[in-house]
Amino acid sequence: MNLSRPDRAQRLDALAAAYALGTLLGRIRRRLDRVAQTDPTVAAALRGWEWRLAALTEGIPGVTPPLHVWEGIRKRLGLTGEDESSRGGRTQSWWSSLSVWRGLALAGFALAFALGLLLLAPTTERPFESVVVVLAGPDAKPALVATAERGSRFLTVKAVAAEVPPGRALELWMLPDGRAPVSIGLVPATGIERLVLRERVGVALQNIPALAVSVEPPGGSPTGAPTGPVVYTGRVERIY
Amino acid sequence: MPPAPTDRSTRLAELLARTALSDQAAYAELYRLTASHLYAVALRILREPAAAEDVLQEAFVSVWHHAGSYSTAKAKPQTWLTSIVRNRCLDMLRRREPDTVTMTRDEDETEMDFEMPGPTAVELLLAGAEANSVRECVDQLDGSQKQAIALAFYQGLSHAELSRHLRQPLGTVKSWVRRGLERLKACLEGAGFTR
Repeated sequence: MNLSRPDRAQRLDALAAAYALGTLLGRIRRRLDRVAQTDPTVAAALRGWEWRLAALTEGIPGVTPPLHVWEGIRKRLGLTGEDESSRGGRTQSWWSSLSVWRGLALAGFALAFALGLLLLAPTTERPFESVVVVLAGPDAKPALVATAERGSRFLTVKAVAAEVPPGRALELWMLPDGRAPVSIGLVPATGIERLVLRERVGVALQNIPALAVSVEPPGGSPTGAPTGPVVYTGRVERIY
Repeated sequence: MPPAPTDRSTRLAELLARTALSDQAAYAELYRLTASHLYAVALRILREPAAAEDVLQEAFVSVWHHAGSYSTAKAKPQTWLTSIVRNRCLDMLRRREPDTVTMTRDEDETEMDFEMPGPTAVELLLAGAEANSVRECVDQLDGSQKQAIALAFYQGLSHAELSRHLRQPLGTVKSWVRRGLERLKACLEGAGFTR
């Protein structure tokens, strides 16, 4: 890192970008950190990239941290005030205490609600014979398995280890690329059920990269869009 | 419904200002309003709840002590907080895994990390872009640029890990990342994206 060269600005910008992205490692990262403390140009470059990229984290669905985190913070700081965290507790939804959502950042809470999925394998035009979708929660354990044959209009959904909160239903959604989720129907908490698609599987799932299951009121989402948390997701695996 | 972004930013900035004056109630509310997002960011990168909890705790302790420096940061409050958390995560990740080790990390273990269910890194990138109305800028990246940047950003992958995961030479992924970021920046600036 020679910051006195004429192309300093450009090199600095590239370094700052790598720093903020997290790909800049080890000594050079620490050195940049140190230099930034005394050099405002370097500091501004780092902050600029951090902010540019940090803005992208707004798409990450939130996960309520365990209460003991706040307790620990208060303890470490020796804060004596009223336990404000109880206010946080009251604002939590009823489902936040269920273990099934623990660590849902990993599963991706609202998944496709922000926008459609873009899976990297380009959508193939090649006809497939059947599809298999393993829907899993944050622990990666399969909860539901959906299978279908190309020429059929039925999607067979088998509950492997699905968990349904009391008084709620599970609804299955197609997550088309770049468009809002499309409901397929309610899925069983136990056993096997066949859902009817509007078109044959070969057409209906042709451009669907993934399916997701959300928690909804009995009878399904009243709005036509998912209203509850997404608890299971899975890629549509095409078998040729 | 959550408040509009500007209302929220104004509120958070106010809470930070009061936190700088050692206002415990403001600090508690700041935590309540931002912890779930920040925890999710940390979980995504560290993939271990215990580690993410540690980072969240450290970050908030630091916020208590340094809230005063926010006023000069010229960033949205949430972005400022997110930077603090991300930096701590990356530090932890790199501490856990010194430079040389990233080159020899067990292949199976690495592969397992990518079996995470839920939105992929690229999906999050697009969602984040959408949330900030910078989707056009993300859309104009090549698929490979998008993927490399998203994996590095959301999952904390190093160049070496990217190279292995994407099965491309190190130089290739480095250039995807570099060119992608350059394009992103040029587009964001052209679109008048501000801090």
